[in-house]
Amino acid sequence: MIFLDYTLDWSVVTDRWHQFVAGAWVDLWVAVIGFALACALGLGNALLRTSGARIFTVPAFLYVQVMRGVPLYVMVVWVYFGIANVIGVNFTAFQAAVIALALTGSGYTTEIFRAGLNAVDKGQMEAARSIGLSRARTYTHVILPQAFRIVVPPLGNTFIGLLKGATIMAVIAVPDMVFLANELNVTLFRPFEVFTAVAVILIVMVLFFSALVYLLERRLRTA
Amino acid sequence: MTALFLTYSYDWSVIPKSIAFFEIGLAVTVRIALLSVAFSLVLGLLVALVRMTPGPIGVIGFIYVQVFRALSLYVYILFIYFGIAAVFHLDFDPITAGVIALTLLNSAYMSEIYRAAIQAIDPGQREAARSLGLGSIGTFVNVVFPQAWRIAIPSLVNQFTDIIKDSSIVALIGAPDLMYQTTERVSFYQRPFEFYTTVAGIYLVLVVIVAQLATHLEKRLQRHLV
Repeated sequence: MIFLDYTLDWSVVTDRWHQFVAGAWVDLWVAVIGFALACALGLGNALLRTSGARIFTVPAFLYVQVMRGVPLYVMVVWVYFGIANVIGVNFTAFQAAVIALALTGSGYTTEIFRAGLNAVDKGQMEAARSIGLSRARTYTHVILPQAFRIVVPPLGNTFIGLLKGATIMAVIAVPDMVFLANELNVTLFRPFEVFTAVAVILIVMVLFFSALVYLLERRLRTA
Repeated sequence: MTALFLTYSYDWSVIPKSIAFFEIGLAVTVRIALLSVAFSLVLGLLVALVRMTPGPIGVIGFIYVQVFRALSLYVYILFIYFGIAAVFHLDFDPITAGVIALTLLNSAYMSEIYRAAIQAIDPGQREAARSLGLGSIGTFVNVVFPQAWRIAIPSLVNQFTDIIKDSSIVALIGAPDLMYQTTERVSFYQRPFEFYTTVAGIYLVLVVIVAQLATHLEKRLQRHLV
């Protein structure tokens, strides 16, 4: 009945499946690079946040609130149009997307690393220091390896969040799968087929990484 | 770096000139967020109950949660506003499409919050209620849910902050929300930095207010536990 005058034509997708895969790769890559940067920023910021000195903890706290409080979409256009305009740097859309994901992600990773660092027993730091390890070596050899186990599952979930979030970069014309689908929608008017394809690819990617996080979590718990 | 900053002359005067637009947009954003949170609270609870039913019905709930959580709001909106609309010849207005998308996504998240809260209730509560002669529905409505609700509320309110932030994406299909108004003003004045910084600030304030509310509620609801 209502279906009658819309005949599904999946050839729009099947003829171009390699383009969809290439687009999905772009999403994945932007998410991976953004996540790696978010982890580096987050770890540094978490160390400041747990340093105990107010000149570090207060800005680190405010940083987290701002990064987590601003929508990713706003962050993307702020970096791509706003910041670029002010500092006179022309980011490519790809760079802007990575920076926005790294900034937003770092708000979340900071809190994850902070919780991980706090969860390591204080006695570990005292013991390592009393046997003569320097502060830096205590962190790299004693505290961080233990904190690592605690942070892996929530970091995995942050990555999944960033992967989902990466799809928004189509709005600044990064040629990802959503951008491709938008183009095909306009040129061929096959919205249902192309957006279903995008949705299915995203679901498959997210479920794959969710399963991975789940397995990793179980493994780390039993170890 | 300083030199780079100096070449840009800021013009913040465009912001006060645009207050009326921000107000209109803010009202739409708040409306979308409130409608979505109300619908997701109800749908999320239903999904949690389905998910906790033993047997194949529970599996349906499980699949709903896994699949509906796995999409980004942007993909949801495109799929509903263009895809579903074309097939079923539905003429969604952008706000409706946005509320549907936000509800589907967040009901999946919220159902997991409800489930965790319901499972946190001591089974002895249920057994005691049943042995007093309450039916299974009566037990849930009068004994289990009122306790689970207290546990769930802070996380549910936090979910509300995500709804507010995600709602900015409805601007892309033309819902006249806060972000849409901002983008319009950006094209009018060509002042992306000033406008996007301001709108980031407004979202931040909204999110902080709601997060404060969550902390406040948490303290209040768990007063009896201290």
